[in-house]
Amino acid sequence: MADLTPGGSDNELGAFIADPELAGMFIADATDHLGTIEATILKLEKAPSDLKLVNDIFRPFHTVKGNAGVLGIASIEEFAHKIETLLDLARSGKHSIGPAEIDLVLKTVDLLKLIIEELPARAAGKPVTDTTARRLELMARVDELIAGATPPPSNKAGFTTPPPPSANGDIERPRATSVRDEQSTVKVDTKKLDNLVDMVGELVIAQAILAEDPAITGASDDRLTRRLAHVRRITSDLQRDTMAMRMVPIRQTFQKMARLARDLARKFEKPCSLSLTGEETELDRKVVEHLTDPLMHMVRNAIDHGIESLSERTAAGKPPMAELRLKAFHRAGFIVFEITDDGAGLDTERILAKGRSLGLVPNGVDLDPADVHQLIFQPGFSTASQVTELSGRGVGMDVVRRNIEALRGRIDIQTERGKGTTFAIQLPLTLAIVDGILLGVGADRFVIPTFAVQESFRPLPTQVQTMQGQVCMVQVRDRLYPLLHIGEVFNISGARKRISEGTVVLCHESGRVVALAVDELLGKQEVVIKSLGEMFKNIRGIAGGAILGDGRIGLILDTGGLLSLVGKTTSQVAA
Amino acid sequence: MIGAVNQGKSVMETMLAVENGGANNASSSGGKFLTFTLGNEEYGVPVLKVREIIKVMDITQVPQVPDYVLGVINLRGKVIPVIDLRRKFGFPAMEHTERTCIIVVDVDLASMRVMMGVVVDSVQEVLNVTEAEIEETPEFGGRATTAYLLGLAKVKDSVKILLDLDCVLGSDGQLGTRA
Repeated sequence: MADLTPGGSDNELGAFIADPELAGMFIADATDHLGTIEATILKLEKAPSDLKLVNDIFRPFHTVKGNAGVLGIASIEEFAHKIETLLDLARSGKHSIGPAEIDLVLKTVDLLKLIIEELPARAAGKPVTDTTARRLELMARVDELIAGATPPPSNKAGFTTPPPPSANGDIERPRATSVRDEQSTVKVDTKKLDNLVDMVGELVIAQAILAEDPAITGASDDRLTRRLAHVRRITSDLQRDTMAMRMVPIRQTFQKMARLARDLARKFEKPCSLSLTGEETELDRKVVEHLTDPLMHMVRNAIDHGIESLSERTAAGKPPMAELRLKAFHRAGFIVFEITDDGAGLDTERILAKGRSLGLVPNGVDLDPADVHQLIFQPGFSTASQVTELSGRGVGMDVVRRNIEALRGRIDIQTERGKGTTFAIQLPLTLAIVDGILLGVGADRFVIPTFAVQESFRPLPTQVQTMQGQVCMVQVRDRLYPLLHIGEVFNISGARKRISEGTVVLCHESGRVVALAVDELLGKQEVVIKSLGEMFKNIRGIAGGAILGDGRIGLILDTGGLLSLVGKTTSQVAA
Repeated sequence: MIGAVNQGKSVMETMLAVENGGANNASSSGGKFLTFTLGNEEYGVPVLKVREIIKVMDITQVPQVPDYVLGVINLRGKVIPVIDLRRKFGFPAMEHTERTCIIVVDVDLASMRVMMGVVVDSVQEVLNVTEAEIEETPEFGGRATTAYLLGLAKVKDSVKILLDLDCVLGSDGQLGTRA
């Protein structure tokens, strides 16, 4: 081969550089197709004789090759062509698909993904991974496989009978593809889309402000009211549809998990089947982006630590093939992801013991099993040595939880010793709007996300605990919670000084509960979340701004940041 | 030339002038400036930096910031910070009047461009300043910071202090770093 530069010669990128729009479309398209190929090949692995699946792999491959050809990227075209040759033989029944072929195609997909991912860097003249050797190796492997062509499998029963999962795939797959093919789609720059969503958010607020205007609410003109109602209906339809435009199905992420599970099952020698449910479930594109890492982490954890080794499973009388289920579904305005394994379950006793030794649980204090399980999300609870000791479930779980909380979601554990564990991640449908509770402090208004609030009440003076004369804790049903007086932390003039004259709100924060003392609760409202911008990005205790129904800005409280402010001021407040 | 000083010019007229002023480049070597007052002093900022002029609206206070940062406002869905130029320059505080305005400007920080609101006593006009009318900033012997200044413009019988906004507001761009 003539070119020996990384990934191919760079003069082949002329057309790619000359037409950035076409280049961007090529990358997006190819990435889509490679994802489809990957998902299909995993099905093919379970039903190697299904020629229709081979065809389904061949077609997207052919498209990628063709598109690369149009752009004149010879290295990709040539590489894809070679693999295509093998697939062509297979689909015409001249070559049978075995584990070697499956592996080869998967490796090809990986390599193509890498090459395509690095195209922009290459076009910009930056150093990229040298894939030449790997390409040549895979292409040589194709020749070997074709040369040693195994005859197509005879139609003996037992050899061709597909295992149950593939039968399942046979039913589902054609439907999924046909739905996709029929929908015509347009690719739009995500920035434009985000802008549109922002503007529609403004429109909704502007409409609400107009509707609440005294001149309108006081109007007795029926026609005016009717026309306004019409505008409101159109606005809310528009909002719903624009929000829907940002929604993408979780399918691609799930496909990644299927691939990950397959590779890990081999690596750890723990045979397991991953079943996916609810791949069509849609959620905000931004949520999907941030969800991939935590999901990968949890699938890895489930296989590495949740599922027992083969010998342990046999000893426990369990089937050797472990079962892993990944489910996505809607529940009450939230989207829920469940990762279930049929492994050993969490060892509550040992986690508690570890928690005590780390000083997370004071001696003599007993915790509910649910509270004990939450300990695995504590930072520092997981180090390499503890992983094996505790049958794992520790590596980076605090990171997983932090990611989930950044998406304003929560994570729950259900586990039964010997039967398995389910992690349930609950997320809001969108990041652009949050259901908030409006708090009044002096003349200022703050917003706290509704899901973070556990309860609110007016405390009796006896519930408020002081320490060295400073108000610091509030007691609720035999439990003490750290108490923050918002008016004082933020130095707001006109805030109530007596906590027992105001309202206390209990909020969840990183597995802890914090009590916030405010003047009053002003109500519930859906608010559009805005960043406060570069200037205020490091202000502690404030997560952002929300545009309220009357067009004013309310600051969104960040309880985690508030906690770091405790004790920084001298308290002037009283119980 | 739009030049003539006209105190009675309405905000609306000035805003129109701001919108039309973009065609003519403003820099330290002359161009169009939006002039405004703080106390008895007259200031000018390059018109190209100015996005719009709005009446003072509800400002939401933000904790843990210097007192000259009044807070944030909702400018048609964008959240932008508002600076009180009086306090920033050490003038005594003054109640907002009918003539008090927020000038919305673009400020170039090291890494990006942000929008900010600047509260001034009153907005005057858009003024064409020729290079010949701009004088080098004299040395004040450390009594006043001259880094903020593009120069002093002597137009008719008054002096306009021409401000470099990136310099005045740029250092506040990342306020939050202070504890």
